[in-house]
Amino acid sequence: MNNASHVLPRDKGAAPLDFVIAVMAFLAALALGASLIADRAAQGWQSGLAAKMTVQILPPDSGDARAGLEAQIQAALDILNATPGVAHAALISDTDTEALVEPWIGKNNLVAEIPLPRLIDVTIVPGEQVDIAALTRKLKQAAPQALLDDHRGWIARLSALADTVRYAAYGILLLIAGATAAAVSFATRAGLSAHHEMVELLHQMGALPSFIARMVEWHYFTSALVAAVTGTLLAAVLFLGAGGLESIGVEAVPFLPPLALKWTEIPWLLAVPAATSLIAWATARISVLSVVRAIY
Amino acid sequence: MVRFESVGMRYGSGPEVLRDVTFVLEAGSFTFLTGLSGAGKTTLLKLIYLAEPPSRGLITLFGRDLATARRAALPALRRRIGVVFQDFRLLDHLSAFDNVALPLRLAGKRVSDYAHDVEELLSWVGLGDRMNSVPPTLSGGEQQRVAIARAVVARPDLLIADEPTGNVDPEMGARLIRLFGELNRLGTTVLIATHDRALIETARAREMRLVDGRLVELRASNAQGMAS
Repeated sequence: MNNASHVLPRDKGAAPLDFVIAVMAFLAALALGASLIADRAAQGWQSGLAAKMTVQILPPDSGDARAGLEAQIQAALDILNATPGVAHAALISDTDTEALVEPWIGKNNLVAEIPLPRLIDVTIVPGEQVDIAALTRKLKQAAPQALLDDHRGWIARLSALADTVRYAAYGILLLIAGATAAAVSFATRAGLSAHHEMVELLHQMGALPSFIARMVEWHYFTSALVAAVTGTLLAAVLFLGAGGLESIGVEAVPFLPPLALKWTEIPWLLAVPAATSLIAWATARISVLSVVRAIY
Repeated sequence: MVRFESVGMRYGSGPEVLRDVTFVLEAGSFTFLTGLSGAGKTTLLKLIYLAEPPSRGLITLFGRDLATARRAALPALRRRIGVVFQDFRLLDHLSAFDNVALPLRLAGKRVSDYAHDVEELLSWVGLGDRMNSVPPTLSGGEQQRVAIARAVVARPDLLIADEPTGNVDPEMGARLIRLFGELNRLGTTVLIATHDRALIETARAREMRLVDGRLVELRASNAQGMAS
C-alpha cells in the first residue's frame, strides 16, 4: 500500500464535478473536431482551386467577328498549352457552358441568344507555379477578349473563412480548458476545506507538503480521466455517426465540408482526456500546496 | 531541547496571550505546565510543537533557532515531536490501529515493520480489542488513549500533551502517566499541561505555572527526568 493512499477519505458528492468534466470534455472534443474539419476543408478548397485556372473569352460587342472569336480561342489555347506548368487546357463546349448557367437562368431558346463567354479550363501540374503576370500579358496580346481567372480571390476568401472557423475552435478550446481548470480547482479547494483539519493534522505531524498533495492529486487525476474519456467517446461517436449518415447519402449542409471525422483523425481526440486529466492533476496539486503553505 | 527567550504571542491585533516567557526544557526532563483556563497553556504548547510562530522573542528547538530555520526544515523537526491534542484530533475514517500507525506511515515505514509495535501499544493502553474500531464508535476516554498511543508510538524526542488525562478515570490516568514516565526514562523530553493536582503530586516533577500570560516557576527541577 502506498503510504499516501487512503489517508484522506474519498470525496462524497464528487459526481457533479465528474459530470461537469465529462460535459467540458465533450464540448472540447467537438471544438477540436470542428477545427480538424475546418483545417481539412481549407486544405481541400485550396488544393482544388489552386490546381485550376479559367480563361474567359468574352464575346465581342459587335457581331461581325465570330471568326475572330474562334481565332482568339485558338490563340489562347496555343499560348496556354505552351506555358510551362500548365498540364492541360481545354475549351468547355457550348453545351457544358449552358449547363453551367442553367441553374441561374434556365434553359430555353432565350439562352441561345445571350452572348455567353467561352470558357477554357486550365489544369496546372501539381506543385508547379505558373507565371500569372506573364501569361496574362501574352493572352492580352494574342486574344484581347481573354480574361484570366486564377481563383485567387476565392481561395483567399475560403481560406479566411476556414481560418475563422479554425481560430474560433481554438478559442473555444482555450475557454473550455480554462473553465475545466477553474471547476477542478474550485472542487479541490472545497474538498480540502472540508478536510482542512485533517490536512492541518498531517502537516502538524510533519507530513511533507508533497505527501499531502499526492493524496489528493491522483484522486482528481483518475476521476477527471474517466469523466473526460466518457465525454470524448460521446463526441467521437457523434462524429463517426455523422460520417455514417453521409455515407448513406444524408448530407448535413450542402457546399460545406462533411461534418464527419475520418477514422485516422479520431486519435487526435485523445488529446482531450489527456489534457483534461493533466489540468485536473496540476490544479489539484497547486491548490493543495497553496493551502498547506498558508499554514505555518 | 527547548529554549524560550522573552517570547511574546498575540493573535492578530488582539491582546498579548503570552508575555516575556523565558524557560529551558533540558533534554530528558519531565515538566508539568499548569495554570487556569485561558492562562495561555495551549498557546505555549502550540509554539513548541510548531503550530504557530511567536510574535516576538527567540525559540530554540533541538538546537535550532526557529527564526532562522528554513521552512523546508520544519517538517523534519515536527516529526521529532509527539503531540496529544486536547481535542484528540483523530481521523474519523481510519481505525484506531491506522490512527496510531499514522506517524510511522509518515516516516515511510511499512505495515509489516510496525504492525506488532502498534498492536502492543494499543493493548498496553487497554484497547487491544478495539483496534479496528473507528473513533466515532469509541468513548471519550478511549479516543484519548488512541491519541496518546499515536503521540508516543514513534518514540519522539519531545512529547507534548495537552490535558492528557482529562477524560479517563484516576486509575487509567496513573497508568498513562506511567507510560509517559517510561518514555521519559528512554530519553524522551516530556511536557504535560494539566489541571490535575493529584497527577502532579504523584509524579513530583518540575512544575511551571502560567499566570495571565507570564511564566512562574513553582517547583524547579531538582533532578533530570521524572522522580520515580
